[in-house]
Amino acid sequence: MAASDASNVASFRNAFGGVLSFFILILIGVLAFSIRLFSVIKYESVIHEFDPYFNYRVTQYLVKSGIYDFWNWFDDRTWYPLGRVIGGTVYPGLTLTAGTLWKILNSLNIPLSVETVCVFTAPIFSAFASWATYLLTKEVKGTGAGLTAAVLLAMVPSYISRSVAGSYDNEAVAIFALIFTFYLYIKTLNTGSLFYATLNAIAYFYMVCSWGGYTFIINLIPMHVLLCIITGRYSSRLYIAYAPLVVLGTLLASLVPVVGFNAVMTSEHFASFLVFIIIHVVALVYYIKGILSPKMFKVAVTLVVSVGLAICCAMIAVLIAVVASSPTKGWSGRSLSLLDPTYASKYIPIIASVSEHQPPTWPSYFMDINVLAFLVPAGIIACFSPLSDASSFVVLYIVTSVYFSGVMVRLMLVLAPAACIMSGIALSQALDVFTRSIKFQLPNLLGLSPSIDEGDASSDNAVAPNDVVKTDKSEDTTKERVSRKSKKKEKEQVEKPVSKSQVKKRLLVLPLEASVIAIFLLILLAAFYVVHSVWAAAEAYSAPSIVLTSRSHDGLHVFDDFREAYAWLRHNTEVDDKVASWWDYGYQTTAMANRTVIVDNNTWNNTHIATVGTAMSSPEKAAWEIFQSLDVKYVLVVFGGLVGYPSDDINKFLWMVRIGGGVFPHIKEPDYLRDGQYRIDSMATPTMLNCLMYKLSYYRFVETDGKGFDKVRHTEIGKKYFKLTHFEEVFTTHHWMVRIYKLKPPRNRIRGKVKKSKSKSSTKTVSKRRGTRRNPF
Amino acid sequence: MSKLVVFLFLALIPLLPLLCNSFSPEKPSDRRVLVLLDDFAIKSSHSSFFKPLQSRGFDLDFKLADDPKISLQRYGQYLYDALILFCPTIERFGGSIDAAAILDFVDSGHDLIVAADSNASDLIREIATECGVDFDEDPAAMVVDHSGYAVSATEGDHTLIASDDFIKSDVILGSKKIEAPVLFQGIGHSLNPSNSLVLKVLSASPSAYSANPKSKLTSPPSLTGSSISLVSVVQARNDARILISGSLSMFSNRFFRSGVQKAGSPVKHEKSGNERFLTELSKWVFHERGHLKAVNVQHHKIGEADEPAIYRINDDLEYSVDVYEWSGTSWEPYVADDVQVQFYMMSPYVLKTLSTDGKGRFFTSFKVPDVYGVFQFKVEYQRLGYTSLSLSKQIPVRPFRHNEYERFIPAAYPYYGAAFSMVRISFSRIFAFVFLSLN
Amino acid sequence: MARSTSKDAQDLFRALWSAYSATPTNLKIIDLYVMFAVFTALIQVVYMALVGSFPFNSFLSGVLSCVGTAVLAVCLRIQVNKENKEFKDLAPERAFADFVLCNLVLHLVIMNFLG
Repeated sequence: MAASDASNVASFRNAFGGVLSFFILILIGVLAFSIRLFSVIKYESVIHEFDPYFNYRVTQYLVKSGIYDFWNWFDDRTWYPLGRVIGGTVYPGLTLTAGTLWKILNSLNIPLSVETVCVFTAPIFSAFASWATYLLTKEVKGTGAGLTAAVLLAMVPSYISRSVAGSYDNEAVAIFALIFTFYLYIKTLNTGSLFYATLNAIAYFYMVCSWGGYTFIINLIPMHVLLCIITGRYSSRLYIAYAPLVVLGTLLASLVPVVGFNAVMTSEHFASFLVFIIIHVVALVYYIKGILSPKMFKVAVTLVVSVGLAICCAMIAVLIAVVASSPTKGWSGRSLSLLDPTYASKYIPIIASVSEHQPPTWPSYFMDINVLAFLVPAGIIACFSPLSDASSFVVLYIVTSVYFSGVMVRLMLVLAPAACIMSGIALSQALDVFTRSIKFQLPNLLGLSPSIDEGDASSDNAVAPNDVVKTDKSEDTTKERVSRKSKKKEKEQVEKPVSKSQVKKRLLVLPLEASVIAIFLLILLAAFYVVHSVWAAAEAYSAPSIVLTSRSHDGLHVFDDFREAYAWLRHNTEVDDKVASWWDYGYQTTAMANRTVIVDNNTWNNTHIATVGTAMSSPEKAAWEIFQSLDVKYVLVVFGGLVGYPSDDINKFLWMVRIGGGVFPHIKEPDYLRDGQYRIDSMATPTMLNCLMYKLSYYRFVETDGKGFDKVRHTEIGKKYFKLTHFEEVFTTHHWMVRIYKLKPPRNRIRGKVKKSKSKSSTKTVSKRRGTRRNPF
Repeated sequence: MSKLVVFLFLALIPLLPLLCNSFSPEKPSDRRVLVLLDDFAIKSSHSSFFKPLQSRGFDLDFKLADDPKISLQRYGQYLYDALILFCPTIERFGGSIDAAAILDFVDSGHDLIVAADSNASDLIREIATECGVDFDEDPAAMVVDHSGYAVSATEGDHTLIASDDFIKSDVILGSKKIEAPVLFQGIGHSLNPSNSLVLKVLSASPSAYSANPKSKLTSPPSLTGSSISLVSVVQARNDARILISGSLSMFSNRFFRSGVQKAGSPVKHEKSGNERFLTELSKWVFHERGHLKAVNVQHHKIGEADEPAIYRINDDLEYSVDVYEWSGTSWEPYVADDVQVQFYMMSPYVLKTLSTDGKGRFFTSFKVPDVYGVFQFKVEYQRLGYTSLSLSKQIPVRPFRHNEYERFIPAAYPYYGAAFSMVRISFSRIFAFVFLSLN
Repeated sequence: MARSTSKDAQDLFRALWSAYSATPTNLKIIDLYVMFAVFTALIQVVYMALVGSFPFNSFLSGVLSCVGTAVLAVCLRIQVNKENKEFKDLAPERAFADFVLCNLVLHLVIMNFLG
């Protein structure tokens, strides 16, 4: 009777907890979605930055032409005249997702524009991502930790930076796919069910569709499997989790056109095959061990296994030989620059030139993951008590992602979920310890029954997460180690009385006051994290970067120059005209101005980019010839000197020189530097002052303030008065941020010898007639 | 007078569309010509040059060069198709015309005849320089030729030259050979050899030099020999044509009519070659000859009629273009065997000579190379004397679609077999299991 | 030494055989099935080495279909093995349903990739 009562109460509590966590999850989803809407509220519902514009354009095409045309899309408006096979070079996951979303909405008679769907895809998927985080962390450490981690992820600034409304980029869905794949892997590992293994392969397929970062999964999971085998944790569940994933995952990955045979040909994937072989050998060994007596097994080891090992070694040697035979060892440039952080800067300036490929600075860690950085070590310790397959996986995940994020700023994004999971675990464990120690001491103080509090306490865990008490933390977790052992649900009921008594015994060590203060501190720090995240979402990461604002003493200034320039191009140039600019603006030009560009943000052809870089760093005539050979009609430069917009072309110019010089050796970087310094004032080198980029940026600049003072470089420009011979200015935006020049046609006549003395009289009349606006030189 | 002009202008308004059409791609010959003169005496003294022009249908408008009312354009429309400057001494034009206005006139596709003379003004020199012709800098200099002079009763300083060193081009000078030498008296000029637009039509003999015949030679003359050009033509990139001559008197009735005997030559021609030479040249300058047009550019896959928006690699295609030549009155089919088409993407991937059917149609067929990208059909046809043809038509070439690759490759049959046998045994297992469990 | 190892080996094989013959028939059927798949895969690899890797997608799908079938069968075998303690509470019907699903996905992908 008493037993059934107790089980009733327990099941009621479970049901209540389930409903509660369900609502909490919904709230987390709403939070994740709405915190990303600051950009829409503060600015407008537009696509942000550069790559999203391309994705948007691709989505439009997909919606308009259908999936088969999209798959075979040869785009003749980029990379003129080479063109680009979009279907075969793009990760289609994001586009297909948004396209499907749009189709569904339209078939439900919700007539949203494609742009709206694209804008809100990222926030929707960040809600999914936080739910996936909940699932993953739940598999590792239980519901409380799961909810905590989900809340943390919903507002981790690093992820917000990539998934605000309008940031329609691969990462937006890829992070969800990443976490969900990991969840399914852990789930398979815990249950050993083929069903989940299949789902896992399909989730992996979605990840491959979405982002090049899938190689992280296909290397991390084998690493984990290997770790498990080495530490003697091999189980048949591990086999079921891994072997079907490799076979199905590889097959599915090669279905994605952009990956294709790379899924079996490049080194990024070899680790998984190697481990695939190893796990079979190990499985066989375990099987033989299972059916043989220990004595016979020893014999078998000496015979069969040693032979098997020899074969394995031979195979590994062959594999290494195959890999080593290719010059880059079969690794792509980006992967190599991950393994060897100095690789890119040495060999591939085009990768190094992207700011998000630079190593991060310490402040950026604090900016992007904030207090989580301090909670992570505590979480790692919590994962070791006790170490399960799942928690070892999470530990491995955080360790590798910390390394990768240290190499490239962009991969901070991979670190963020790991940090959230770890911090979620750490926080929930800490709160667990504190609330328990309070709970078991409260009856002593107030004489209340302990059982009533428990539900509340666990819900508290979930709702009030977040924070950092590093010192307390490690103490607590070590003490908690034994009691936390049994986290599996089925066993929970059985072990409850036991654990209760254990907990009671051990936790009496923590004094009540310390617990209360610690909880208070935790909540305080959690509040700090929330404040920081909201600030980051509202201020730091909400700017769409095509519309800029600056707040000065006389109010808010809005710089909408980019769209002004693209609109000008769209309305004032021929449909087939080619526009040359540095590759950063390629995607925007094709998407917003609908004009053909020479290079764009998909930096697949280094030579072509180097050609444009060379043109920009050449003197006017040479540049004109290069552009003429590419049928360029207009040249677009971004200039921030008037309003102080720092990421303009002059600041990127050294990369153009480097990339150009990498292919065309007559462009030499030292020619543009005075004593190793990059300057544009009167001390600049003549090469610098005569190059096209300088001229196009500063043409007529002196007319603005009479001095030619550049607000970005904080200096007066070196050459103020000059004329353009081969280019003519056709459009300059309101704040001079975008300047568009047209190539002059070849001269209609070729002049004879110029005779200064004779033509003097006539030029005088000419200048008189043309009025007063000419430069006095 | 001004009232009259206004009236005339009003009367012209309904005709304006007609007038504007008079120089058009359809009829490239000029119609209305403005002739600027130093004084009206030239009109009668050079009537032998003007008369044939008028009889060929040109509408000549004679004005004094310093007439304050002259203007080339009104309301942004040019009033004339061509301009003849017979005013070598003018320092400043009347009205709104200056050197820049004349060059703009040329740059907008109109033709120009400039006759200079010794003592040519800076203004004329500047116009010539802008067109790539450099007159001798000494204003008093004339071309002197002590062996190629024209035998004449009156003059002894050998500045009257009989030259028969013509450019060898039937297009410019007509198909009939000009027998008699051309009389020339005036200033010489030089051309920059690297200038591809300007052509020497009449050059001096190797023994000629350019100097002031009145003074003694103190320093070597700056221009000597056959590098001296007497008459040159320019075809600008927009097909505007310019004729520059160092002598105004070579257009005169006197030179047209006089007989000529070149020094050292026994033949005495009854009539100088000036008339033939200048008439033929004026035909060329005023686009009555040597003007090509290309129309009806077509390309399509072999076996299809419609032009596709995009080709696939390795497609076979046909390209054709119609080229016509303006005969002065009508478009005649152009016949040549050296018109080439390029299939171009950064460099020509295909270069084919077009064959012609004699009716103006040029055609060829070729296979699209195994490279995808944005290609261009390019015809760049530049022949001496003819207007240049420069056609380019952009066409993208795409790779195979996913379903255009080969299917059912024999070498792969074992793989198919293996895959299907796997399917078979898997499903037989499944059915067996289901069957067993049902029983 | 050589004699002792060969004797050991004989002992070993005998022991292996006796241990194996104790396995239930349905597991043996699965083993046969795995053997067949692996054998087919090996034949294809040899064929590829002879003929060359031209229709690489066909080769890949052919080999991977065999490997995949084998792997899935091994998974099934692990799950339905009565001696395996880890999957006590997993009904063989459930295991088989999962297996069918997995096979379906596998073969659909193979068919897609084959041509």
